[in-house]
Amino acid sequence: MAVGVTRPKPGRAPSGTRGSRARRARRPGARHFLLFAAPGTLVYVCLVLVPIVMSVGYSLTDQALLRPTTSFVGLRNYRLLLQDETFLQSLKVTTILTLIVVVVPNVLGVAIAVLLDRRGWLYNALRGVFFTPMVISSVVISVIWTRVLADDGPVNQALRALGVQDPPGWLSDPDIALYSLSSIVCWQLLGFCVVVYLAGLQGVPQELAEAAAIDGAGPVRRFWSVTWPLLAPALTINTVVLLISAFKIFDHVKVITNGGPGTGTTASVAFVVLQEGFVDNRTGYASAEAVVMLVVIAALSVLTLRILGRREVQL
Amino acid sequence: MTGSRAPWLRPLVALLAGAFFALPLYIALINVFKPSGQVAANAMSPPAPPTLDNLVRVLTGPDSLFWSSLRTSVVVTSLSIVILTLLSALLGHYLARHTRWWSRAIMVLLLCGLMIPPQVILIPVTQVLKSLGLMSTLQGLILFNVGYYVPFGVFVFSGFMKGVPRELEEAAAIDGATRWQTFWRIVFPLLRPATASVLIFLGVWIWNDFLNPLIIYGPREGTTIMTGVYKSLGRYAADFGGMFALMFLATLPILVFYLLLQKQFVKGLTGGATKG
Repeated sequence: MAVGVTRPKPGRAPSGTRGSRARRARRPGARHFLLFAAPGTLVYVCLVLVPIVMSVGYSLTDQALLRPTTSFVGLRNYRLLLQDETFLQSLKVTTILTLIVVVVPNVLGVAIAVLLDRRGWLYNALRGVFFTPMVISSVVISVIWTRVLADDGPVNQALRALGVQDPPGWLSDPDIALYSLSSIVCWQLLGFCVVVYLAGLQGVPQELAEAAAIDGAGPVRRFWSVTWPLLAPALTINTVVLLISAFKIFDHVKVITNGGPGTGTTASVAFVVLQEGFVDNRTGYASAEAVVMLVVIAALSVLTLRILGRREVQL
Repeated sequence: MTGSRAPWLRPLVALLAGAFFALPLYIALINVFKPSGQVAANAMSPPAPPTLDNLVRVLTGPDSLFWSSLRTSVVVTSLSIVILTLLSALLGHYLARHTRWWSRAIMVLLLCGLMIPPQVILIPVTQVLKSLGLMSTLQGLILFNVGYYVPFGVFVFSGFMKGVPRELEEAAAIDGATRWQTFWRIVFPLLRPATASVLIFLGVWIWNDFLNPLIIYGPREGTTIMTGVYKSLGRYAADFGGMFALMFLATLPILVFYLLLQKQFVKGLTGGATKG
Protein backbone atom coordinates (compact mmCIF):
# COMPACT_ATOMS: atom_id res chain seq x y z
CA MET A 1 0.00 0.00 0.00
CA ALA A 2 1.65 3.15 -1.23
CA VAL A 3 -0.32 5.41 1.04
CA GLY A 4 0.75 3.47 4.07
CA VAL A 5 4.43 4.12 3.44
CA THR A 6 4.09 7.87 3.44
CA ARG A 7 2.09 7.86 6.64
CA PRO A 8 3.66 8.10 10.07
CA LYS A 9 3.61 4.97 12.18
CA PRO A 10 0.02 4.02 12.99
CA GLY A 11 -0.83 3.87 16.62
CA ARG A 12 -1.18 6.80 18.89
CA ALA A 13 0.04 9.31 16.32
CA PRO A 14 -1.38 12.70 17.25
CA SER A 15 -1.87 13.59 13.59
CA GLY A 16 -4.42 10.74 13.02
CA THR A 17 -7.55 12.29 11.55
CA ARG A 18 -11.03 11.03 12.16
CA GLY A 19 -11.29 9.33 8.79
CA SER A 20 -8.07 7.39 8.99
CA ARG A 21 -8.88 6.19 12.46
CA ALA A 22 -12.23 4.85 11.29
CA ARG A 23 -10.62 3.09 8.36
CA ARG A 24 -8.06 1.45 10.58
CA ALA A 25 -10.70 0.38 13.06
CA ARG A 26 -12.95 -1.32 10.54
CA ARG A 27 -10.73 -4.28 9.66
CA PRO A 28 -9.79 -5.18 13.25
CA GLY A 29 -13.44 -4.70 14.13
CA ALA A 30 -14.46 -7.32 11.59
CA ARG A 31 -11.80 -9.71 12.79
CA HIS A 32 -12.85 -9.10 16.37
CA PHE A 33 -16.43 -9.96 15.44
CA LEU A 34 -15.40 -13.09 13.53
CA LEU A 35 -13.23 -14.32 16.37
CA PHE A 36 -15.44 -13.48 19.35
CA ALA A 37 -19.04 -13.23 18.27
CA ALA A 38 -19.43 -15.18 15.05
CA PRO A 39 -18.91 -18.81 16.19
CA GLY A 40 -21.57 -18.80 18.91
CA THR A 41 -24.00 -16.75 16.85
CA LEU A 42 -23.57 -18.99 13.81
CA VAL A 43 -24.33 -22.23 15.67
CA TYR A 44 -27.31 -20.62 17.37
CA VAL A 45 -28.70 -19.29 14.09
CA CYS A 46 -28.28 -22.63 12.29
CA LEU A 47 -29.61 -24.88 15.06
CA VAL A 48 -32.33 -22.67 16.59
CA LEU A 49 -33.39 -19.68 14.51
CA VAL A 50 -33.34 -21.34 11.08
CA PRO A 51 -35.30 -24.34 12.45
CA ILE A 52 -37.98 -21.97 13.80
CA VAL A 53 -38.39 -20.46 10.35
CA MET A 54 -38.40 -23.97 8.86
CA SER A 55 -41.08 -25.00 11.36
CA VAL A 56 -43.32 -22.19 10.18
CA GLY A 57 -42.63 -23.26 6.59
CA TYR A 58 -43.39 -26.94 7.31
CA SER A 59 -46.62 -25.98 9.05
CA LEU A 60 -47.97 -24.67 5.75
CA THR A 61 -47.42 -28.02 4.00
CA ASP A 62 -48.80 -31.55 4.25
CA GLN A 63 -45.28 -32.92 4.75
CA ALA A 64 -45.14 -36.46 6.10
CA LEU A 65 -42.07 -38.67 6.22
CA LEU A 66 -43.73 -41.61 4.51
CA ARG A 67 -45.44 -39.54 1.81
CA PRO A 68 -43.37 -39.21 -1.37
CA THR A 69 -44.53 -35.69 -2.30
CA THR A 70 -45.12 -32.60 -0.24
CA SER A 71 -47.41 -29.79 -1.29
CA PHE A 72 -48.31 -26.37 0.02
CA VAL A 73 -51.64 -26.36 1.83
CA GLY A 74 -51.74 -22.84 3.24
CA LEU A 75 -53.40 -22.55 6.63
CA ARG A 76 -55.25 -25.85 6.39
CA ASN A 77 -53.23 -27.45 9.23
CA TYR A 78 -54.16 -24.59 11.54
CA ARG A 79 -57.85 -24.93 10.61
CA LEU A 80 -57.68 -28.65 11.32
CA LEU A 81 -56.09 -27.97 14.69
CA LEU A 82 -59.19 -26.11 15.83
CA GLN A 83 -61.27 -29.27 15.44
CA ASP A 84 -58.62 -31.75 16.57
CA GLU A 85 -59.86 -33.34 19.80
CA THR A 86 -56.38 -34.62 20.70
CA PHE A 87 -54.82 -31.20 20.32
CA LEU A 88 -57.58 -29.33 22.15
CA GLN A 89 -57.37 -31.87 24.95
CA SER A 90 -53.60 -31.35 25.14
CA LEU A 91 -54.11 -27.59 25.46
CA LYS A 92 -56.44 -28.23 28.39
CA VAL A 93 -53.95 -30.62 30.00
CA THR A 94 -51.10 -28.14 29.58
CA THR A 95 -53.20 -25.30 31.01
CA ILE A 96 -54.00 -27.26 34.18
CA LEU A 97 -50.41 -28.48 34.44
CA THR A 98 -49.03 -24.96 33.98
CA LEU A 99 -51.39 -23.38 36.51
CA ILE A 100 -50.43 -25.90 39.19
CA VAL A 101 -46.72 -25.82 38.39
CA VAL A 102 -46.55 -22.02 38.41
CA VAL A 103 -48.51 -21.53 41.64
CA VAL A 104 -47.58 -24.39 43.97
CA PRO A 105 -43.74 -24.25 43.88
CA ASN A 106 -43.91 -20.46 44.18
CA VAL A 107 -46.05 -20.60 47.33
CA LEU A 108 -44.20 -23.50 48.95
CA GLY A 109 -40.88 -22.04 47.80
CA VAL A 110 -41.41 -18.79 49.69
CA ALA A 111 -42.55 -20.64 52.78
CA ILE A 112 -39.56 -22.97 52.80
CA ALA A 113 -37.08 -20.21 51.99
CA VAL A 114 -38.36 -18.17 54.94
CA LEU A 115 -38.22 -21.29 57.10
CA LEU A 116 -34.63 -22.10 56.12
CA ASP A 117 -33.30 -18.53 56.13
CA ARG A 118 -31.16 -19.15 59.22
CA ARG A 119 -27.54 -20.12 59.84
CA GLY A 120 -26.41 -23.46 61.20
CA TRP A 121 -25.70 -27.01 60.12
CA LEU A 122 -29.34 -28.11 60.33
CA TYR A 123 -30.49 -25.46 57.86
CA ASN A 124 -27.53 -26.10 55.57
CA ALA A 125 -28.35 -29.80 55.49
CA LEU A 126 -32.05 -29.16 54.85
CA ARG A 127 -31.23 -26.76 52.01
CA GLY A 128 -29.18 -29.59 50.51
CA VAL A 129 -32.23 -31.88 50.75
CA PHE A 130 -34.49 -29.45 48.92
CA PHE A 131 -31.88 -28.74 46.23
CA THR A 132 -31.13 -32.38 45.46
CA PRO A 133 -33.94 -33.01 42.92
CA MET A 134 -32.47 -30.21 40.77
CA VAL A 135 -29.45 -32.40 40.03
CA ILE A 136 -31.49 -35.52 39.27
CA SER A 137 -32.72 -36.32 35.79
CA SER A 138 -36.45 -36.06 35.06
CA VAL A 139 -36.30 -39.66 33.87
CA VAL A 140 -34.96 -40.87 37.21
CA ILE A 141 -37.41 -38.72 39.16
CA SER A 142 -40.25 -40.06 37.03
CA VAL A 143 -39.28 -43.68 37.67
CA ILE A 144 -38.91 -43.08 41.41
CA TRP A 145 -42.37 -41.49 41.62
CA THR A 146 -43.94 -44.13 39.42
CA ARG A 147 -42.82 -46.61 42.06
CA VAL A 148 -43.82 -44.41 45.01
CA LEU A 149 -47.33 -43.80 43.65
CA ALA A 150 -47.92 -47.26 42.19
CA ASP A 151 -51.18 -48.95 43.14
CA ASP A 152 -49.28 -51.28 45.47
CA GLY A 153 -46.52 -48.76 46.19
CA PRO A 154 -45.32 -47.28 49.48
CA VAL A 155 -47.93 -44.51 49.64
CA ASN A 156 -50.84 -46.88 49.24
CA GLN A 157 -49.23 -49.44 51.55
CA ALA A 158 -49.07 -46.72 54.19
CA LEU A 159 -52.67 -45.69 53.52
CA ARG A 160 -53.86 -49.30 53.85
CA ALA A 161 -51.93 -49.63 57.09
CA LEU A 162 -53.79 -46.53 58.32
CA GLY A 163 -57.06 -48.23 57.53
CA VAL A 164 -57.95 -46.75 54.13
CA GLN A 165 -59.84 -49.59 52.45
CA ASP A 166 -59.52 -48.52 48.86
CA PRO A 167 -56.65 -46.06 48.31
CA PRO A 168 -56.74 -44.10 45.05
CA GLY A 169 -54.88 -45.18 41.93
CA TRP A 170 -52.68 -42.09 41.86
CA LEU A 171 -51.38 -42.72 38.36
CA SER A 172 -53.97 -45.18 37.05
CA ASP A 173 -57.17 -43.21 37.71
CA PRO A 174 -57.91 -40.90 34.74
CA ASP A 175 -59.41 -38.29 37.08
CA ILE A 176 -56.36 -38.08 39.34
CA ALA A 177 -53.35 -38.88 37.14
CA LEU A 178 -52.87 -35.33 35.83
CA TYR A 179 -52.80 -33.92 39.37
CA SER A 180 -50.33 -36.58 40.51
CA LEU A 181 -48.15 -35.77 37.51
CA SER A 182 -48.31 -32.03 38.30
CA SER A 183 -47.35 -32.71 41.91
CA ILE A 184 -44.29 -34.66 40.79
CA VAL A 185 -43.15 -31.76 38.62
CA CYS A 186 -43.77 -29.35 41.53
CA TRP A 187 -41.64 -31.53 43.79
CA GLN A 188 -38.81 -31.43 41.26
CA LEU A 189 -38.93 -27.67 40.65
CA LEU A 190 -39.45 -26.63 44.29
CA GLY A 191 -35.70 -26.57 45.00
CA PHE A 192 -35.09 -24.01 42.28
CA CYS A 193 -37.71 -21.68 43.74
CA VAL A 194 -36.23 -22.07 47.21
CA VAL A 195 -32.77 -21.12 45.88
CA VAL A 196 -34.07 -18.01 44.17
CA TYR A 197 -36.16 -16.91 47.17
CA LEU A 198 -33.27 -17.54 49.57
CA ALA A 199 -31.07 -15.37 47.37
CA GLY A 200 -33.83 -12.74 47.37
CA LEU A 201 -34.06 -12.85 51.17
CA GLN A 202 -30.33 -12.03 51.37
CA GLY A 203 -31.19 -8.71 49.76
CA VAL A 204 -33.84 -7.78 52.36
CA PRO A 205 -32.15 -5.39 54.81
CA GLN A 206 -32.41 -6.60 58.41
CA GLU A 207 -33.00 -3.00 59.59
CA LEU A 208 -36.30 -2.78 57.72
CA ALA A 209 -37.77 -5.78 59.52
CA GLU A 210 -36.45 -4.47 62.84
CA ALA A 211 -37.91 -1.03 62.19
CA ALA A 212 -41.27 -2.60 61.38
CA ALA A 213 -41.05 -4.69 64.55
CA ILE A 214 -40.42 -1.58 66.64
CA ASP A 215 -43.46 0.01 65.00
CA GLY A 216 -45.44 -2.93 66.35
CA ALA A 217 -45.85 -5.08 63.24
CA GLY A 218 -46.25 -8.80 63.96
CA PRO A 219 -44.42 -11.48 61.97
CA VAL A 220 -47.24 -11.90 59.45
CA ARG A 221 -47.59 -8.19 58.86
CA ARG A 222 -43.79 -7.84 58.59
CA PHE A 223 -43.71 -10.51 55.93
CA TRP A 224 -46.50 -9.02 53.78
CA SER A 225 -45.49 -5.39 54.13
CA VAL A 226 -41.69 -5.62 54.13
CA THR A 227 -40.31 -8.95 52.93
CA TRP A 228 -42.76 -9.96 50.21
CA PRO A 229 -42.64 -6.69 48.21
CA LEU A 230 -38.85 -6.85 48.27
CA LEU A 231 -38.97 -10.40 46.88
CA ALA A 232 -40.65 -9.12 43.69
CA PRO A 233 -37.62 -9.80 41.43
CA ALA A 234 -37.40 -13.36 42.77
CA LEU A 235 -41.11 -13.87 42.08
CA THR A 236 -40.62 -12.68 38.50
CA ILE A 237 -37.70 -15.03 37.86
CA ASN A 238 -39.47 -18.00 39.42
CA THR A 239 -42.74 -17.41 37.62
CA VAL A 240 -41.13 -17.10 34.20
CA VAL A 241 -38.87 -20.13 34.72
CA LEU A 242 -41.77 -22.24 36.04
CA LEU A 243 -43.97 -21.14 33.17
CA ILE A 244 -41.41 -22.14 30.56
CA SER A 245 -40.59 -25.40 32.36
CA ALA A 246 -44.27 -26.32 32.69
CA PHE A 247 -44.91 -25.67 29.04
CA LYS A 248 -42.24 -28.04 27.78
CA ILE A 249 -43.01 -30.94 30.10
CA PHE A 250 -42.44 -34.07 28.12
CA ASP A 251 -40.12 -36.45 29.98
CA HIS A 252 -42.51 -37.01 32.90
CA VAL A 253 -45.47 -37.70 30.63
CA LYS A 254 -43.44 -40.06 28.45
CA VAL A 255 -42.01 -42.06 31.34
CA ILE A 256 -44.84 -42.02 33.89
CA THR A 257 -48.10 -42.22 31.95
CA ASN A 258 -47.26 -42.15 28.22
CA GLY A 259 -50.25 -39.83 27.82
CA GLY A 260 -52.75 -42.07 29.62
CA PRO A 261 -54.57 -43.43 31.51
CA GLY A 262 -57.54 -43.40 29.18
CA THR A 263 -57.12 -41.29 26.06
CA GLY A 264 -54.79 -38.35 26.46
CA THR A 265 -55.69 -37.48 30.06
CA THR A 266 -52.09 -36.45 30.72
CA ALA A 267 -50.88 -35.76 27.16
CA SER A 268 -49.31 -32.28 27.25
CA VAL A 269 -48.86 -30.18 24.10
CA ALA A 270 -45.15 -30.93 24.09
CA PHE A 271 -45.95 -34.64 24.22
CA VAL A 272 -48.52 -34.45 21.43
CA VAL A 273 -46.20 -32.48 19.14
CA LEU A 274 -43.50 -35.13 19.40
CA GLN A 275 -45.97 -37.98 19.13
CA GLU A 276 -47.39 -36.49 15.95
CA GLY A 277 -43.96 -35.59 14.53
CA PHE A 278 -41.82 -38.60 15.38
CA VAL A 279 -44.23 -41.46 15.98
CA ASP A 280 -47.00 -40.72 13.47
CA ASN A 281 -44.51 -38.92 11.19
CA ARG A 282 -46.95 -36.17 10.20
CA THR A 283 -44.26 -33.50 10.35
CA GLY A 284 -46.24 -30.73 8.61
CA TYR A 285 -49.16 -31.02 10.98
CA ALA A 286 -46.87 -31.41 14.01
CA SER A 287 -45.05 -28.24 12.97
CA ALA A 288 -48.33 -26.32 13.03
CA GLU A 289 -48.85 -27.55 16.59
CA ALA A 290 -45.28 -26.54 17.44
CA VAL A 291 -45.82 -23.05 16.05
CA VAL A 292 -48.99 -22.61 18.12
CA MET A 293 -47.04 -23.78 21.16
CA LEU A 294 -44.26 -21.26 20.49
CA VAL A 295 -46.69 -18.36 20.03
CA VAL A 296 -48.53 -19.17 23.26
CA ILE A 297 -45.37 -19.53 25.35
CA ALA A 298 -43.91 -16.32 23.89
CA ALA A 299 -47.10 -14.37 24.61
CA LEU A 300 -47.36 -15.73 28.16
CA SER A 301 -43.69 -15.01 28.92
CA VAL A 302 -43.90 -11.43 27.67
CA LEU A 303 -47.16 -10.87 29.55
CA THR A 304 -45.72 -12.26 32.79
CA LEU A 305 -42.58 -10.16 32.50
CA ARG A 306 -44.70 -7.05 31.84
CA ILE A 307 -47.10 -7.58 34.73
CA LEU A 308 -44.59 -8.73 37.34
CA GLY A 309 -41.91 -6.37 36.07
CA ARG A 310 -44.21 -3.39 36.60
CA ARG A 311 -44.64 -4.49 40.20
CA GLU A 312 -40.86 -4.36 40.65
CA VAL A 313 -40.64 -0.82 39.27
CA GLN A 314 -43.38 0.48 41.55
CA LEU A 315 -41.27 -0.25 44.62
CA MET B 1 -41.96 -12.76 68.05
CA THR B 2 -42.68 -16.41 67.54
CA GLY B 3 -38.97 -17.13 67.29
CA SER B 4 -38.27 -16.11 70.89
CA ARG B 5 -41.46 -17.57 72.35
CA ALA B 6 -40.91 -21.05 70.92
CA PRO B 7 -37.32 -21.45 69.72
CA TRP B 8 -37.85 -25.15 69.01
CA LEU B 9 -40.70 -24.51 66.58
CA ARG B 10 -38.70 -23.43 63.53
CA PRO B 11 -36.17 -26.32 63.56
CA LEU B 12 -38.98 -28.79 64.22
CA VAL B 13 -41.15 -27.58 61.33
CA ALA B 14 -38.11 -27.38 59.05
CA LEU B 15 -37.07 -30.89 59.97
CA LEU B 16 -40.56 -32.31 59.36
CA ALA B 17 -40.88 -30.52 56.02
CA GLY B 18 -37.44 -31.77 54.97
CA ALA B 19 -38.20 -35.32 56.02
CA PHE B 20 -41.50 -35.36 54.15
CA PHE B 21 -39.88 -33.88 51.06
CA ALA B 22 -37.03 -36.40 51.16
CA LEU B 23 -39.26 -39.50 51.42
CA PRO B 24 -39.10 -40.40 47.71
CA LEU B 25 -35.32 -40.01 47.78
CA TYR B 26 -35.15 -42.28 50.82
CA ILE B 27 -37.31 -44.91 49.14
CA ALA B 28 -35.14 -44.77 46.01
CA LEU B 29 -31.94 -45.07 48.00
CA ILE B 30 -32.97 -48.03 50.18
CA ASN B 31 -34.17 -49.89 47.09
CA VAL B 32 -30.64 -49.73 45.67
CA PHE B 33 -29.39 -51.83 48.58
CA LYS B 34 -32.35 -54.17 49.02
CA PRO B 35 -32.42 -57.74 47.78
CA SER B 36 -34.79 -57.71 44.82
CA GLY B 37 -37.40 -59.93 46.50
CA GLN B 38 -37.92 -57.48 49.37
CA VAL B 39 -38.54 -54.38 47.27
CA ALA B 40 -42.15 -54.86 46.30
CA ALA B 41 -43.39 -56.29 49.59
CA ASN B 42 -42.50 -53.57 52.08
CA ALA B 43 -41.31 -50.46 50.35
CA MET B 44 -40.62 -48.26 53.38
CA SER B 45 -38.53 -50.57 55.52
CA PRO B 46 -34.73 -50.29 55.41
CA PRO B 47 -32.82 -53.10 53.70
CA ALA B 48 -32.14 -56.01 56.02
CA PRO B 49 -29.40 -56.89 55.46
CA PRO B 50 -28.14 -54.35 52.87
CA THR B 51 -26.70 -55.91 49.74
CA LEU B 52 -24.50 -54.74 46.90
CA ASP B 53 -25.93 -57.38 44.54
CA ASN B 54 -28.02 -54.86 42.57
CA LEU B 55 -25.06 -52.60 41.88
CA VAL B 56 -22.83 -55.53 40.93
CA ARG B 57 -25.51 -56.88 38.58
CA VAL B 58 -25.75 -53.57 36.73
CA LEU B 59 -21.99 -53.02 36.59
CA THR B 60 -21.28 -56.50 35.24
CA GLY B 61 -24.28 -56.76 32.88
CA PRO B 62 -23.48 -58.95 29.85
CA ASP B 63 -24.09 -56.22 27.23
CA SER B 64 -22.19 -53.59 29.28
CA LEU B 65 -25.07 -51.17 28.65
CA PHE B 66 -24.07 -49.16 31.68
CA TRP B 67 -20.43 -48.72 30.72
CA SER B 68 -21.00 -47.90 27.06
CA SER B 69 -23.75 -45.38 27.75
CA LEU B 70 -21.66 -43.90 30.56
CA ARG B 71 -18.81 -43.37 28.10
CA THR B 72 -21.17 -41.74 25.60
CA SER B 73 -22.59 -39.39 28.23
CA VAL B 74 -19.16 -38.39 29.50
CA VAL B 75 -18.00 -37.56 25.96
CA VAL B 76 -21.16 -35.65 25.01
CA THR B 77 -21.42 -33.72 28.28
CA SER B 78 -17.76 -32.78 28.63
CA LEU B 79 -17.27 -31.70 25.01
CA SER B 80 -20.57 -29.80 24.98
CA ILE B 81 -19.88 -27.83 28.14
CA VAL B 82 -16.27 -27.01 27.23
CA ILE B 83 -17.26 -25.71 23.79
CA LEU B 84 -20.27 -23.91 25.24
CA THR B 85 -18.18 -22.19 27.90
CA LEU B 86 -15.61 -20.97 25.38
CA LEU B 87 -18.09 -19.77 22.76
CA SER B 88 -20.53 -18.15 25.16
CA ALA B 89 -17.77 -16.43 27.17
CA LEU B 90 -16.40 -14.90 23.96
CA LEU B 91 -19.83 -13.94 22.70
CA GLY B 92 -21.02 -12.68 26.09
CA HIS B 93 -17.92 -10.51 26.41
CA TYR B 94 -18.37 -9.14 22.90
CA LEU B 95 -22.04 -8.31 23.40
CA ALA B 96 -21.44 -6.73 26.80
CA ARG B 97 -18.78 -4.41 25.36
CA HIS B 98 -20.53 -3.49 22.09
CA THR B 99 -23.74 -1.53 22.08
CA ARG B 100 -24.26 -1.00 18.35
CA TRP B 101 -27.75 -1.87 17.12
CA TRP B 102 -26.72 -5.18 15.60
CA SER B 103 -25.05 -6.48 18.71
CA ARG B 104 -28.18 -5.51 20.64
CA ALA B 105 -30.22 -7.37 18.04
CA ILE B 106 -28.09 -10.49 18.54
CA MET B 107 -28.59 -10.16 22.29
CA VAL B 108 -32.37 -9.95 21.96
CA LEU B 109 -32.48 -12.93 19.62
CA LEU B 110 -30.37 -14.94 22.07
CA LEU B 111 -32.61 -14.02 25.00
CA CYS B 112 -35.61 -15.25 23.00
CA GLY B 113 -33.78 -18.56 22.73
CA LEU B 114 -34.00 -18.98 26.51
CA MET B 115 -37.70 -19.75 26.31
CA ILE B 116 -37.90 -21.86 23.15
CA PRO B 117 -38.98 -25.40 24.02
CA PRO B 118 -36.91 -28.03 22.19
CA GLN B 119 -40.11 -29.64 20.87
CA VAL B 120 -40.71 -26.59 18.68
CA ILE B 121 -37.48 -26.99 16.74
CA LEU B 122 -36.65 -30.70 16.88
CA ILE B 123 -38.39 -31.69 13.64
CA PRO B 124 -36.46 -29.18 11.48
CA VAL B 125 -33.28 -29.75 13.50
CA THR B 126 -33.25 -33.37 12.39
CA GLN B 127 -33.44 -32.10 8.79
CA VAL B 128 -30.61 -29.61 9.31
CA LEU B 129 -28.43 -32.28 10.90
CA LYS B 130 -29.27 -34.76 8.13
CA SER B 131 -28.19 -32.26 5.48
CA LEU B 132 -24.92 -31.77 7.38
CA GLY B 133 -24.49 -35.55 7.59
CA LEU B 134 -24.52 -35.32 11.40
CA MET B 135 -27.82 -36.98 12.26
CA SER B 136 -27.40 -39.96 14.63
CA THR B 137 -23.82 -38.92 15.46
CA LEU B 138 -22.29 -37.66 18.67
CA GLN B 139 -21.00 -34.61 16.79
CA GLY B 140 -24.56 -33.77 15.77
CA LEU B 141 -25.82 -34.07 19.34
CA ILE B 142 -22.97 -31.91 20.63
CA LEU B 143 -23.58 -29.31 17.93
CA PHE B 144 -27.27 -29.13 18.84
CA ASN B 145 -26.43 -28.81 22.54
CA VAL B 146 -24.10 -25.91 21.73
CA GLY B 147 -26.72 -24.11 19.64
CA TYR B 148 -29.56 -24.72 22.06
CA TYR B 149 -27.74 -23.75 25.26
CA VAL B 150 -25.54 -20.90 24.00
CA PRO B 151 -28.20 -18.30 25.02
CA PHE B 152 -27.97 -19.41 28.63
CA GLY B 153 -24.17 -19.16 28.61
CA VAL B 154 -24.24 -15.73 27.01
CA PHE B 155 -26.90 -14.60 29.48
CA VAL B 156 -24.73 -15.55 32.47
CA PHE B 157 -21.40 -14.28 31.07
CA SER B 158 -22.67 -10.96 29.74
CA GLY B 159 -24.46 -10.30 33.02
CA PHE B 160 -21.26 -11.02 34.93
CA MET B 161 -19.23 -8.79 32.60
CA LYS B 162 -20.87 -5.75 34.21
CA GLY B 163 -18.74 -6.42 37.28
CA VAL B 164 -15.49 -6.53 35.29
CA PRO B 165 -14.00 -3.03 35.04
CA ARG B 166 -13.43 -1.85 31.48
CA GLU B 167 -10.24 -0.08 32.64
CA LEU B 168 -8.48 -3.43 33.07
CA GLU B 169 -8.97 -4.19 29.39
CA GLU B 170 -7.94 -0.71 28.33
CA ALA B 171 -4.79 -0.95 30.43
CA ALA B 172 -3.92 -4.27 28.80
CA ALA B 173 -4.54 -2.78 25.35
CA ILE B 174 -2.21 0.14 26.12
CA ASP B 175 0.43 -2.36 27.21
CA GLY B 176 0.21 -3.85 23.72
CA ALA B 177 -1.95 -6.93 24.31
CA THR B 178 -4.24 -8.03 21.49
CA ARG B 179 -7.94 -8.42 22.21
CA TRP B 180 -7.52 -12.20 22.17
CA GLN B 181 -4.70 -12.03 24.75
CA THR B 182 -6.59 -9.50 26.84
CA PHE B 183 -9.61 -11.74 26.95
CA TRP B 184 -7.87 -14.95 27.88
CA ARG B 185 -5.26 -13.51 30.27
CA ILE B 186 -7.22 -10.72 31.95
CA VAL B 187 -10.97 -11.10 31.51
CA PHE B 188 -11.60 -14.85 31.45
CA PRO B 189 -9.82 -15.52 34.78
CA LEU B 190 -12.03 -12.87 36.37
CA LEU B 191 -15.12 -14.60 35.04
CA ARG B 192 -14.41 -17.73 37.08
CA PRO B 193 -17.59 -17.70 39.18
CA ALA B 194 -19.63 -17.26 35.99
CA THR B 195 -17.69 -20.09 34.34
CA ALA B 196 -18.38 -22.33 37.31
CA SER B 197 -22.11 -21.65 37.26
CA VAL B 198 -22.32 -22.16 33.50
CA LEU B 199 -20.44 -25.46 33.85
CA ILE B 200 -22.66 -26.58 36.72
CA PHE B 201 -25.99 -25.75 35.11
CA LEU B 202 -25.16 -26.93 31.60
CA GLY B 203 -23.35 -30.01 32.88
CA VAL B 204 -26.41 -31.04 34.88
CA TRP B 205 -28.88 -30.24 32.09
CA ILE B 206 -26.95 -31.99 29.35
CA TRP B 207 -26.10 -35.03 31.45
CA ASN B 208 -29.72 -35.40 32.50
CA ASP B 209 -31.15 -34.66 29.06
CA PHE B 210 -33.46 -37.35 27.76
CA LEU B 211 -35.43 -36.00 24.83
CA ASN B 212 -32.69 -34.54 22.63
CA PRO B 213 -30.38 -37.58 22.70
CA LEU B 214 -33.39 -39.82 22.16
CA ILE B 215 -34.33 -38.02 18.94
CA ILE B 216 -30.95 -36.82 17.64
CA TYR B 217 -28.56 -39.58 18.63
CA GLY B 218 -31.23 -42.07 17.83
CA PRO B 219 -31.76 -45.68 18.66
CA ARG B 220 -29.22 -47.20 16.31
CA GLU B 221 -25.88 -45.88 17.46
CA GLY B 222 -26.22 -46.36 21.21
CA THR B 223 -27.51 -44.21 24.01
CA THR B 224 -26.55 -41.62 26.56
CA ILE B 225 -26.98 -42.70 30.14
CA MET B 226 -30.46 -41.22 30.69
CA THR B 227 -31.93 -42.56 27.46
CA GLY B 228 -30.26 -45.81 28.54
CA VAL B 229 -32.21 -45.71 31.80
CA TYR B 230 -35.43 -45.13 29.87
CA LYS B 231 -34.74 -47.98 27.48
CA SER B 232 -33.96 -50.34 30.34
CA LEU B 233 -37.34 -49.77 31.99
CA GLY B 234 -38.83 -52.74 30.20
CA ARG B 235 -35.95 -55.04 30.99
CA TYR B 236 -35.96 -54.14 34.68
CA ALA B 237 -39.76 -54.24 34.98
CA ALA B 238 -39.54 -57.22 37.29
CA ASP B 239 -36.23 -56.22 38.90
CA PHE B 240 -36.78 -53.04 40.93
CA GLY B 241 -33.45 -53.48 42.70
CA GLY B 242 -31.57 -53.48 39.39
CA MET B 243 -33.57 -50.51 38.13
CA PHE B 244 -32.83 -48.39 41.17
CA ALA B 245 -29.17 -49.44 41.13
CA LEU B 246 -28.88 -48.35 37.48
CA MET B 247 -30.51 -44.99 38.24
CA PHE B 248 -28.24 -44.51 41.26
CA LEU B 249 -25.14 -45.19 39.18
CA ALA B 250 -26.40 -42.91 36.39
CA THR B 251 -26.93 -40.03 38.84
CA LEU B 252 -23.73 -40.45 40.87
CA PRO B 253 -21.24 -38.92 38.35
CA ILE B 254 -23.21 -35.70 37.89
CA LEU B 255 -23.83 -35.42 41.62
CA VAL B 256 -20.08 -35.67 42.27
CA PHE B 257 -19.39 -33.16 39.48
CA TYR B 258 -21.90 -30.77 41.02
CA LEU B 259 -20.46 -31.06 44.52
CA LEU B 260 -16.87 -30.61 43.30
CA LEU B 261 -17.62 -27.57 41.16
CA GLN B 262 -19.84 -25.99 43.78
CA LYS B 263 -16.75 -25.63 45.96
CA GLN B 264 -14.89 -24.00 43.05
CA PHE B 265 -17.86 -21.74 42.57
CA VAL B 266 -17.73 -20.50 46.16
CA LYS B 267 -13.93 -20.17 46.03
CA GLY B 268 -14.25 -18.11 42.88
CA LEU B 269 -16.71 -15.80 44.58
CA THR B 270 -14.58 -15.21 47.66
CA GLY B 271 -11.18 -15.24 45.99
CA GLY B 272 -11.85 -12.36 43.60
CA ALA B 273 -9.41 -10.04 45.36
CA THR B 274 -8.22 -8.47 42.12
CA LYS B 275 -11.48 -6.70 41.44
CA GLY B 276 -11.11 -2.98 41.81
